[in-house]
Parts: sequence; C-alpha cells; structure tokens
Amino acid sequence: EPLTYDISRRPSNSVEEEPKRNKNKLVSLPSLQAIKQEASQFKMLTVSVKWQKKVFEGIEIDVSLPPYVFKAQLYDLTGVPPERQKIMVKGGLLKDDADWSSIGVKDGQKLMMMGTADEVVKAPEKAIVFAEDLPEEEQATNLGYSAGLVNLGNTCYMNSTVQCLKSVPELKSALSNYSLAGRSNDVDQTSHMLTVATRELFGDLDRSVNAVSPTQFWMVLRKKFPQFSQLQNGMHMQQDAEECWTQLLYTLSQSLKAPTSSEDSDAVKALFGVNLRSRVHCQESGEESSETESVYSLKCHISHEVNHLHEGLKHGLKGELEKTSPALGRTAVYLKESLIDSLPRYLTVQFVRFFWKRETNQKAKILRKVDYPLELDIYDLCSEELRKKLEAPRQKLRDEEGKKLGLQTKSSSKDGDVKMTDAEAPSNESGESSTAAQQEGASSSEKGTHMTGIYDLVSVLTHKGRSADSGHYVAWVKQESGKWIQYDDSYPSVQREEDITKLSGGGDWHMAYIIMYKARFVSM
Amino acid sequence: MAPTPDPNSVGGGARKDEASVKVPSKDPKKKDDKKEDDLSEEDLELKQNLELYVERVQDPNPDLQRAALESMRQEIRASTSSMTSVPKPLKFLRPHYGTLKAFHQTMPASDLKKCLSDILSVLALTMSAEGQRESLSYRLIGTEGDIGSWGHEYVRNLAGEIAQEYTKRQSEEAPIDDLMELVQQIVAFHMKHNAETEAVDLLMDVEDLDLLLEHVDKTNFKRTCNYLTSAAKYLPGPDDMLVLDISYMIYMKFEEYPNALQIALFLDNTQYVKQVFTSCADLLRKKQFCYMIARHGITFELDDEMVADEDDREALQDIVNNTKLSEGYLTLARDIEVMEAKTPEDIYKAHLLDGRASSGASVDSARQNLAATFVNAFVNAGFGQDKLMTVPSDSTTGSSGNWLFKNKEHGKISAAASLGMIQLWDVEAGLAQLDKYFHSNDNPILSGALLGVGIVNSGIKSDCDPALALLGDYVDKEDSSVRIGAIMGLGIAYAGSQNDQIRSKLSPILNDAKAPLDVIAFASLSLGMIYVGSCNEVAAQSIIFALMDRSEAELGDALTRFLPLGLGLLYLGKQESVEATAEVSKTFNEKIRKYCDMTLLSCAYAGTGNVLKVQDLLAQCGEHLEKGDIHQGPAVLGLAMVAMSEELGIDMEIRSLERMLQYGEQNIRRAVPLALGLLCISNPKVTVMDTLSRLSHDTDSEVAMAAIISLGLIGAGTNNARLAGMLRNLSSYYYKDASLLFCVRIAQGLVHMGKGLLTLTPFHSERFLLSPTALAGIVTLLHACLDMKPIILGKYHYVLYFLVLAMQPRMMLTVDKDLKPLSVPVRVGQAVDVVGQAGRPKTITGFQTHSTPVLLAAGERAELATDKYIPLSPILEGFIILEENPDYREE
Repeated sequence: EPLTYDISRRPSNSVEEEPKRNKNKLVSLPSLQAIKQEASQFKMLTVSVKWQKKVFEGIEIDVSLPPYVFKAQLYDLTGVPPERQKIMVKGGLLKDDADWSSIGVKDGQKLMMMGTADEVVKAPEKAIVFAEDLPEEEQATNLGYSAGLVNLGNTCYMNSTVQCLKSVPELKSALSNYSLAGRSNDVDQTSHMLTVATRELFGDLDRSVNAVSPTQFWMVLRKKFPQFSQLQNGMHMQQDAEECWTQLLYTLSQSLKAPTSSEDSDAVKALFGVNLRSRVHCQESGEESSETESVYSLKCHISHEVNHLHEGLKHGLKGELEKTSPALGRTAVYLKESLIDSLPRYLTVQFVRFFWKRETNQKAKILRKVDYPLELDIYDLCSEELRKKLEAPRQKLRDEEGKKLGLQTKSSSKDGDVKMTDAEAPSNESGESSTAAQQEGASSSEKGTHMTGIYDLVSVLTHKGRSADSGHYVAWVKQESGKWIQYDDSYPSVQREEDITKLSGGGDWHMAYIIMYKARFVSM
Repeated sequence: MAPTPDPNSVGGGARKDEASVKVPSKDPKKKDDKKEDDLSEEDLELKQNLELYVERVQDPNPDLQRAALESMRQEIRASTSSMTSVPKPLKFLRPHYGTLKAFHQTMPASDLKKCLSDILSVLALTMSAEGQRESLSYRLIGTEGDIGSWGHEYVRNLAGEIAQEYTKRQSEEAPIDDLMELVQQIVAFHMKHNAETEAVDLLMDVEDLDLLLEHVDKTNFKRTCNYLTSAAKYLPGPDDMLVLDISYMIYMKFEEYPNALQIALFLDNTQYVKQVFTSCADLLRKKQFCYMIARHGITFELDDEMVADEDDREALQDIVNNTKLSEGYLTLARDIEVMEAKTPEDIYKAHLLDGRASSGASVDSARQNLAATFVNAFVNAGFGQDKLMTVPSDSTTGSSGNWLFKNKEHGKISAAASLGMIQLWDVEAGLAQLDKYFHSNDNPILSGALLGVGIVNSGIKSDCDPALALLGDYVDKEDSSVRIGAIMGLGIAYAGSQNDQIRSKLSPILNDAKAPLDVIAFASLSLGMIYVGSCNEVAAQSIIFALMDRSEAELGDALTRFLPLGLGLLYLGKQESVEATAEVSKTFNEKIRKYCDMTLLSCAYAGTGNVLKVQDLLAQCGEHLEKGDIHQGPAVLGLAMVAMSEELGIDMEIRSLERMLQYGEQNIRRAVPLALGLLCISNPKVTVMDTLSRLSHDTDSEVAMAAIISLGLIGAGTNNARLAGMLRNLSSYYYKDASLLFCVRIAQGLVHMGKGLLTLTPFHSERFLLSPTALAGIVTLLHACLDMKPIILGKYHYVLYFLVLAMQPRMMLTVDKDLKPLSVPVRVGQAVDVVGQAGRPKTITGFQTHSTPVLLAAGERAELATDKYIPLSPILEGFIILEENPDYREE
C-alpha cells in the first residue's frame, strides 16, 4: 500500500517529463524490483523511514530535488510539519538544502525520523514561586506553622500559654494597634511593658523559622507578676499555666482598652468574655435574685459523674454559696444557677484538674478522663433570650451543611424556611445590634455574620505529670491550613486531628487543661 | 598446590582391620615395640616375609634379588592402589629404608637397581625427610613404569615434589625434560581419576598449562575449566590471563561456546569473540551469543565472516544493539503486574510516619520538587509512563508541562531529562516524547532534552545514530548548560563505543582555553566513558593537556575532579597499561597530582582484586594529612573498586573499612559509606545496612549524606522493606534539613528503582563478568558524592543520571526460537559454589519454583525445572533462548 501511495503522491512537477508514470501507477507488489531498477536509473532512491513505532517502507527520493521535498513527502505520511522533522542519517541530521549526493544515502537504507506535531511546551503564565526564593519570614509561613519557643528553664507553662493565645488572630491585630500613644493613664508601667513584650514576641514568632527565645517577655512577666519568679533549688519553679493565662489576659484586657475608656471597647473582653446571667436562689427563704457577671473562661468541674465536657460545664454553672440572707438575718445556702447570656468569639474552657490537697500541701491533679469534642454546641447552656437569637443562624447553618452533604430538602419547605428567617431577620438584627454591640464591641464591624452557638476547637493546652507545679505543659494549636501543630517548647510538629481528642486524660499522657474554641459564624 | 601427604590423616576408606593399626608417628620405635605383640598372625607373617625380602634383596644372587624385589613390589602395589592411610607393607618396611638405601648405592647400574629405585621411591613417601624430595629422585632413576600403579597418594606426593624441584631447577636454569615427562604421566593419571584440580595445580606450578588441552575430555573439561576460571581470580597477572586463555581453548575444543564467549568477553578479546561466532554454525546459538554480548554492554559489529547471510546478520546485530531490551523488560513488568505508574508519594509513604509527617507546605519547594523528579524518574525508569511527566497535557491535575516548570532553573534540566529515563531503552517513543522540548527557547529545558536523548539511548545502538545526529550540533553552542546536556548525553549514549567522530567533537573542547570549567569537566567525563577501558592514547592526551592547562584556582574547584576521573576511566580495569599515563600525572600541579594518582590507580585495577594495590591504597589512607588534601577520598573508593570482584575480597574490605571509620580522618570517614555502597551495590547485606544506618545519623552531615545515598545504592532496585522503613524514618528525622532530606528522597527513589525490577550491579553472568560501562557510571556518581554540596546539592544534580549506565533488568526471560517469550518452570535459589567438587553437585539451595520470566536477586541462580527444553546458555540470566529437547518424553 505505501508503494503505490508514494508514487501517486510524488510532487507532480518532478515527474512530468518522465514517461514511466502510467506504468508505475499500475504497479503491484511483485514488480517492486523493477521499480527499484527504474528508480536507480532515474536517480531515484528507495528508502524506509522509521518514525516512532511505524516503519514507512519504500519511500522514493528524487535525488535531483532538495531534501525539503522529501520532507514534504513525509509530512503527508506522518503529519509532522517539515520544520519539525529531524531525519537522522548516519549520525547526522538531514538539512533542508543539502545535496543528496554528498549525504551518501544508499538505496534501501533505513532512515530514522524524530518529530511530532505536539505542542511546544510553554512556561506557565504565572511563574511558580518556590519556597527557597522567599525571604526567611515568608518561608516560615510556608511551613504552615510558626516557630517554637525556647524553654528558659521551666517556662513551658508560659510557652504553651503564649502559643495558644497567639493562635487568636484578632488578639494579634489588637496588639499591633497598640502603641505607646495609645497608652491610657490608668495602665501602669509594667502592664504596658508586658503588652509591648507580648506584641514583640508574637511578631518574632511569625517572622522566624527557628525557635524564638522569649527572654524579654519572660523578664517583663516576672516583673509584673513576681509570683512567677519563685525559685526552688536555684531554679525557677514550674508554674500553673492557668494562672499565667488568666493574668496575661487580664493585663492585656486592661492595657488594650481603648483610650476613650468606654467599656465597650475592651478588645480582650470582646474576644474572650462570657456574660453569665445567674439566678441566685435561697431554698430556705425562697428569696431569689439575679445577677450578671463577665468571665474569661468557663470552668469544667470534674466529679465522679462527669465523663464529658458538656456535663462538666453544666456542673460548673451550678454552684452553692453561703451568704447573709437579709430575710433570715443569717447566712444561708444559696443555689446559684448561671446561663450564658452572650457568646464570645473565643470560648475558653478550663478543666478544673487541680485542687489543693491539704494532706500533702500540694496541688493535686485529677486524672479522670473527660472527653471533649472537636465541635462544641453550647446551645443548652444559653439563656432563653440568647437561644432565641441563635435559632435562625443555626437553621441556616444546618441548611448549608445539608447542602454540602447533598441532602436535597424539599424546595417548598426550603422556601418557607427562607421566608421565615427573612421575616425574623430585621428583628434579630436590631436585637443583636442592641445587645451584642456592647458585648462584642470589635465584632460589630462584621455585620451580617452571626453566632451560632457552635464552636470549633482551635487550641489545647495540655499538662503531663501529677501536679500543677511539676510536669510539662505543651500547646496544641490548629493552624489556618487546618493542620494541628504541637508546640513542645522549641519543637513544633505536625499532628493528626484524631490524636487531639485523645488528650482527654485518664492516664499519664498529656491531658487537656485549658482548651479554646472558636465560634462558628454564619453569614445571613 | 598438591598437598604433601600427611601420614597422620586417616581416610574414611580404610579397611576395617586396619582401624586397629596405629599410624606411624614421630617416634616409631617406641610404638613398634609395644605393638609387636598386638599384631595378628596375618600381619606377623607379612612382616616376616617383608623382612625376608629385604634380606634377599641384599643377596649377591641376582635371581634371588629379582624375585625378592618382585615380591616386595607386589606386596606394596596390592596394598597401595586404593589406600588413603599408610599401608602395612610400607609400615613394616620403614625400619629397613636406611638399609635398602645404603644397598642401593652399592648396586651397579642395572634393571635391578631401577626396580629397587622404584621401591625406594615409594618408601620415601613416608620416610623422606622434609625437603629432600627422595621420592622424586628415586623415581627419576627408576623404571619409569606406570605411575598410577603405586596408588593415588604416591602420585600426589610426587606432584608436590616435582613442583618444588621445578622451582629449584628454574633458579639454577637446569634442564627440566625429565620432570616434564613425569608431569605428563601424572596429569594423565589425575585427569582420568577425577582429580582435575590437582592436575591443574601441578601444571600451574610447572608453568605448562597447555598440556591440559591434550588431557581434557568430555567428562572432565567442565570441572577443569570451572576450576581454572575461579582460580584466575586469585592469580597474579599475567598468570590469570594465561589460565583464562587455556580455559577458553578448552571450551572451544568442546564446542561449549557460551562459556568460551564469556571468557572472551572477560579477556576483552574481540578476536576471541569473533572466533566463537565463526566456529559456531548454528544461527540460534549465535543469537544467544548476541544476547550475552548485549548484556555485557560493549559495542560490537558483526561482519560477514561471523554471519554470512545479510538478513540474519541484521537480526543478530539488532540483538547486540539491545533494541529488544525495552520489549523484554516490559514483558517482565506485565508478567509481574507492576505496569501501573507510581508517584513519589507512593514511595515516600508519609502516611506511615507518626505525627511528624512532611507538612505539605502550601508553596512548592524547588529542592523537594527536584527530589520528586528524580524519584519519579528512577522508579518509573523504562516503563514509558508515569504520573508527572507523561500525563496528557490537557489533564487538569497537572500536565507534563506543569511539572517541568515546578522545577527551578537548573532543576528543569533534570526534569526534562527524566523523560528520557522514563522512556529508557525505547528510543523511538523516547525521541517522540522529547521532541517537544527541542523547540523550547528555555535553555535548561533544551539541555535536559539533549541529556534525555542520551539517557534513552543508554546501552542501545542504532545504525542511524540518532543521539549523535541530534546532539552533535549542540556541543558547541553558546550556553554552558546546553553544551553540558549534549556532552553528557553523548557520553551516556555512546559509552564504550570508542566512536572517533565524537572524540573529534569533544577533544577540541577540552583544549579550548575559553571553555568554562564545567563544560570541560563533563567533556572529560564523556570522553572517558566513550573510551572506557580502551587505553586510547589520543583521548588520554586531550585530557592530560586539559589538566595541565587548568589554573590554580580551577584546580581547587569541585568539578575538576572529573578530569582525572575521565582519564582514569580510559584505563578502567586495564592494570599496568596505565603506567605511562600515571608517570605523566606525576608532573601535574601538586593540588591535583595525588588525586589523579589515586584515581588512575583505582580505575586501572578496578575489579581485579589485586592485593598489592589494595595495600598501596590502604597505606595512603593510613596517613594523617594536613588540611586541604582530598586524595584520600578516591583512595577509599579505590579500595572498594579493586576489591569488589569477589566475595572474599568484599568481606575483607568491609572489615578494613570499619577500621578506617574508627581511626581515619574526616575526609576518609566521608568516603567510607560510599565505598560500602559500591561493595554491596544492589545487594543489601544486613551488616552493611546496619553500619550505614548508624552512619546516617552521624554528626558530620557529609558522612550522613554519603551514608544515606549509599543506603540507596545497596538497596537499588530491591524494594527492600527494611531499607524502605529506615529511609522513611530518616525522612522524618531530617524533615527540617533540606539537603539531608533531598539525599533521603534520592535514596528512596533508588531503592524502588524500576519498581524493583532493576539492578545496578556491574557484575553479571554469575558475577563473572564486569561491565565496564556500568562500573564507569557508578564510579562517576561516587566521585561526585565525595563532595556533595557543590555538585549533587548544587546545580549539577543531573550527574545522578550517570547511574543509568549501570541499570539493567535483574531478570531471567526465556524465549523460544522465534525470540518470543516462552514461559517455563524454573527453580530459583541461592547459588552454591561448586568449584572443585566432584560429581554433579547441586548448584542452588533453598530454591523455589516459578515460571519465567523471573526476577533474580543478588547471589541467586536459576535452573530449568523441566527437561522439555534445553537452554542455549548455561548461565541463566537475562534473555535465554530455549531449544526443544529432542529426547524429551511426556510423562
């Protein structure tokens, strides 16, 4: 088949004067020899060309014409344009304008052709950025997590606290806005210094690839809170991370208060503060009063019945206190039941694992296993009003999740839902802006996003060991990328999410001491 | 050497009643007195008879003498013919040896004296004082009768004495004709009685191996040759060549052509190879020869003398040119079901690591992507498909173009060239794939494409010379990286070809004053590869001049080491042929002189096992140098290169390397892991694995890097699970150190090279033959690893591709007479050394039965488990043609 093909396809101008044309057209395979003879007579060469896996046999070359013509022949056969063809003849490439006689191609020779009609590779339009090209601080962010902190001698309680708090971007931005000018008069010098040191330390951590030494911060912290300077055998003692956490947050909340000193602008309170409305009830006298208070963390009390965070929280919101009853004229036992009145962006929960053991004069530790979820719903700890406000956003969230899972809700009921929420929206919005404005302060800028009462775990501060003043503290922080990083002083390492929930105690492994949840918002 | 008979060793064949007889010891008197009473009646009678004969021999009556001698002779013969312990007649005659000797001296020359000489010769077997060689001297004046009639032990003793006498006479330049006559007899006797090894020993002692040719026959030539070839490893030159020569002739005599060809290849004697072809008439057998030549990796042209028919010749040349290698390899891959392409992540298996997994950063790291490029290339080598480079470009997940550009600058060279590795041995498909890069205006990509063409052609030859045609013009381009790509590509594609056309392209570069150092370094390497082991003077000249022209500063550059290495490769395995060049190298600048000296020495004696050179090199390593000298690195590598040829040498070398780790300087410690890697390449010995694992945590990161690369080398192509686990843990241990992590990734890629179907060992054909091109590739990489930072961790990482020269499928693929794969059952087991064993001992142990094609691990051997076919080569490796057995009966 290729034989007849070649002859008919030969460029016509070259064959006109040759009288054998007609005969050749009718040629069939047995007369191959005859053609070859003729070919050599008329300075024709028959070669075979190997291209990729195919071999084209019996291609004729008219040696009186430049090799470009031959390439055109091959173009017909292979579809490779002549300029992309590379024909290899005995260790050399066939040039378009070469002379056949000088190339020395013999009759029946095998040639090899390389070439494709493939598209030529092009560099992507957007140049790829390599980690190696980035400045050091950007390389750090590309690791997906920031650097660790050097242990300065029993400072793991401080390191892990700092790492946990650093994971709150809003706190970082509030700190970065803090400047000397913003210092209000009622902030004392040491608080100011501590705030600045915190800001610097956060900055260092973000910029550095290698572990940062928090010397300055530690010095200031001890200055502000001399209790952290306790020495034992000439070494600084291990301290309670919870104390450090609370004191640090308190200091920051004082110094970060806007100079206008209006209560609303307390950034720290807006981020972490939980408003509790408590009903204080005296069973003996039947007296009842209600009070509100603001705390920075919820306590999870651990007793024999508590197996889960939720139970512990409920337990913590109930309490008994003794106070003078005006009705009875003596001290009586009051029952205090609290409910959450407003939600923080970051909900901190402290596991009350340590208690003072008189016998040993030591803070002893409760090793009981208390599970905590990656996703916490505190709806039933909320007050009635708050619950009402949460209804609509929660419904919206459920819908979105349903959509994500591919569950098709009936279009009619969906419409109805939307209408309902639409109808409720204005009232909600106004309600929130009135009540939430004072509590949430900074978040008021994020109009249109609503709390749902659902929280996602973002950091865990764990303790390993038998007493609060010994053992080892480690921070486990979720990054924006969704990865969990364990900050064991100067060594950050990647962890799996399922291992985070295993820090729930019940053994001598690291167990959660302070955990922090981030609110899940839904935009409406 | 024939062992001198030890009278105290009692063979198991001793007759029962003799068990009670104590062998004569140093104080015969005491024992004889004691035993006098223990003798049985029979023995007593014999003893009395013999004493009588002794007396009669001294009788003046010649008739009586004759009768006595005759009787004595009969007594001795009757007992010695099949004896391993000291026979009784000899024992009873011991006290009379002195008497007979004295009498012998008084006798006039006569037949009787000769008879007595014979008897004294036999008695001397146990009586002669050390070094006196009385047995021989009496034998020489004896009757010259049938030597075997006195028993095997006698002959062995005589052989030993002849060897001693021969050395003595050689030193005195005395005639040896009488000795040689005896040798003739002894050799004939040994060869007939299953004692080929002793015959060979004797002939080696008297330096007349040619005699063997007269005495070998169909029953004993195999054992003889087997002994000869294995003895050759332990003989000093030029005796080893002589020994192999003889065994070649014997094999030729008995038409055992495959073995003859093996030896011809070992001797690197083209004339002999040719002779094998001209002597054999069978076309199918010739095809098998072609497969064997192809595996050895040398360039060989068949002519019409070797194969008359043109079509046949073409078909055979195709096999020599290795054009079918890709096909066979893919057949194996399909049979083992490993065609599915693997990604680097499949190799890293990060999910098996606890916690500290690689963080999968959001931004590409150029270093890690480069590592992935190499891993992908090595793992999918030769399969023609992968998941990074050959995926269709319209795919959304990441097209080939995309991955290419995920490599930075010089990284793109290795990325583009990796396409050549993936298409390895499949020239047509490879060229088609690489074509698109030829039109890129990005120099690194073009450079990579050129290198890729070289890689895809590695070990494959073609009439059209596509590599030369495509690369030739780029050698003199402006851009250095393009030039290096073309030069290195040519070096890989034409390794061992001795192609003058390429030399005329490369030589001018070497002596071009304007050429950059890196271009010159790679030109030297490529020249060394193309003329590997050729001792080509012209090529050597070019490199020598290039070395002399280097400035002081250039001599300090890490890449300069490739110049002496290129020079060394020219003399790879050629022993003393290097001497003239080594002499010239003494005139070099002192900065490079010693480095050059060590490199030349180690290359020239590579694979020879030459103990003297090992000692030379060890002495070099023993020195404690001032800072700045770098020649101990190549000396350590040289130790491994020289000793790597046989197991015993390897074991000794591993031991001495351990010492060096303890006492050596830092630059020696850095080379030791690499030497270990070479000694056990693709052969993960547990002890070496442990040593390297320990070193991979060394505080000196250079030692650790070398150890990690070597872990890859010893496991190359094995898929060894233990190594894979070790490397995985190392990847987590070094996750923060980009350089070490890069090395770990490379090693992981090597261990899974070709998904476990490849080997890097330069030895093949039951470890007998050493492929020079393969060794050249490995040695080049190791020299590059002596200074990792500027080369492999710098911008010359593509030297890793030199390993392609050593990459070969570790397979046994049986084909029928039409060369189509044919599946037959085979037993695969650990090879057993059968040299010097009598009979037909088992050649493998602990075997399993598989059907072909099968993989062969290091130290394994295969044998056919069916009688239906006869393999055309006794060495069942690579491609084996099977012929139907005409005598086969279906059961």
